[in-house]
Amino acid sequence: MVGDTERWFPDDMPPPAANAETAGWWEACAAHRLVVQRCTACGATRHPPGPVCPRCRVTTAEWAELPGTGTVYTFTVVRQAFLPSLAQTVPYVVAAVEPDGGGGARMVSNVVGCDPEEVSVGMEVEVVWEDMGPELALPRFRPRGRLEGDR
Amino acid sequence: MSPARAGRRAVIAGVATSDYPHLPGMSEHAVHAEAAGRALADAGLEYGDVDGFATAGFFPMYAVGVAEYLGLHPTYFDETHAGGASFEVLVEHAAYAVEAGIAEVVLVTYGSVQLSQMGRRLGTGGGGRGGMAPGPAIYDALWGNTLVGSYALAARRHMHEYKTTPEQLASVAVTMRDHAAHNPQAQYRDAITVDDVLSSRLVADPLHKLDCCVISDGGGACVVTTAERAADLRKPAVHILGGAHATTHHMNLSADADLTVSPAAQSGPLAFERAGITPAEVDVAQLYDSFTITVVLTVEDLGFCAKGEGGAFVEDGGLGLGGRLPTNTDGGGLSACHPGMRGMFLIVEAVRQLRGEAGETQVPGARLAVAHGTGGMLSTGATLVLGKEAP
Repeated sequence: MVGDTERWFPDDMPPPAANAETAGWWEACAAHRLVVQRCTACGATRHPPGPVCPRCRVTTAEWAELPGTGTVYTFTVVRQAFLPSLAQTVPYVVAAVEPDGGGGARMVSNVVGCDPEEVSVGMEVEVVWEDMGPELALPRFRPRGRLEGDR
Repeated sequence: MSPARAGRRAVIAGVATSDYPHLPGMSEHAVHAEAAGRALADAGLEYGDVDGFATAGFFPMYAVGVAEYLGLHPTYFDETHAGGASFEVLVEHAAYAVEAGIAEVVLVTYGSVQLSQMGRRLGTGGGGRGGMAPGPAIYDALWGNTLVGSYALAARRHMHEYKTTPEQLASVAVTMRDHAAHNPQAQYRDAITVDDVLSSRLVADPLHKLDCCVISDGGGACVVTTAERAADLRKPAVHILGGAHATTHHMNLSADADLTVSPAAQSGPLAFERAGITPAEVDVAQLYDSFTITVVLTVEDLGFCAKGEGGAFVEDGGLGLGGRLPTNTDGGGLSACHPGMRGMFLIVEAVRQLRGEAGETQVPGARLAVAHGTGGMLSTGATLVLGKEAP
């Protein structure tokens, strides 16, 4: 099982290269704040972050703070690793999570802190942060309401 | 296809596959050349007749490079990349080109030695340092998502919304294997059962190993020209009645991308409208089967059944000979051959069916066929409607 205190960011995976459009998302993550990009003109949210609103094509956007809770839209249990360094990590859960307040935007992440067999579509989850380095943290999710010691 | 220029109507005059599924020692270009030579011979044409060329591969100026290798100096070329759907798009474009009169004979080729190059790695979806797609892909890959995982996400959501079962998904693989038994070149030919699929190891829930396509070497080619030019050629022409393609997203899983709907929902109705037929008239289908879920989504989105009824449509031999819609009569990517972008094989098999050349898996009297490619992560779809007779 993958816990949120156990690093599994693989050494053979390149770190994300942030640019002007995406830096805000990664900076918020580093500060353990879950945000989503929101168009300042029409209010549509989008993820991954990008340079232009896919709905109204306006280029100005803001980072909307999210409460950190959400729902599993769909998930899979990856049982065969595609990077050698993930071979010790399988099985792990990859999920598309709809964060509460995210306007329908979904984030691909992991559900950790429970047995993969417990995960279901519609499961309520909350964010947990994994520090990968001084300027990089990844949001993962765990079943909502678990106590710290339950992981 | 319309708009046609003064009676010029696009047809497929020649088709071929290369040898497959395992071509140790062959280069990718050699696979192109083998398929191209065979397709031209099938049509009764020669390289000197070719003035247009199209292919798709994984680096820029790919078509230019293959054209050089084949010694072609085409005045029409195209390398539109739509992943597995590329070859349906390229043939659609070629049809427009010959109907517009800007090309006379367009050669479309595909070649891959994925199996020999990469080995039998199932569930690939990234390559490690330096091998990962830039941009949005990172928002999947950092959390360990894989290509199989992406289709698994779609399958899980379809199961949730429509009560589609693992058994129904498995039945797609079973039928493809039944067809592969009649294809001497197929990578796997031994019969399998639904239980065999369900007891094969899970790669990414709910997809088992046997829910996933094989990994092969191989290629194919086809020759697009006009009905007039084809009239005195070696084989009966197959008419390109309609084509359309669409894309909805690349990697993005946001609300705009409904994982239970593929771009076939756009390309299918357009292609049928352009062809002037309805899905109910189709005699035989060649549908991209990267994974079993891909086929379930495609039969729904092309309109062979209602959304959510794909599971019931494909089970109990629904895609078999004599079934609701005989599909992938060569054994498909799930059993016969899948070198990475399988779309060309769909076209070759559709043409063989309409010519009556499909041997033991021939659909009797087949007049109308559909070839539908799917690329990326359910990102692109391209539909070709082919007919034995002129419209």
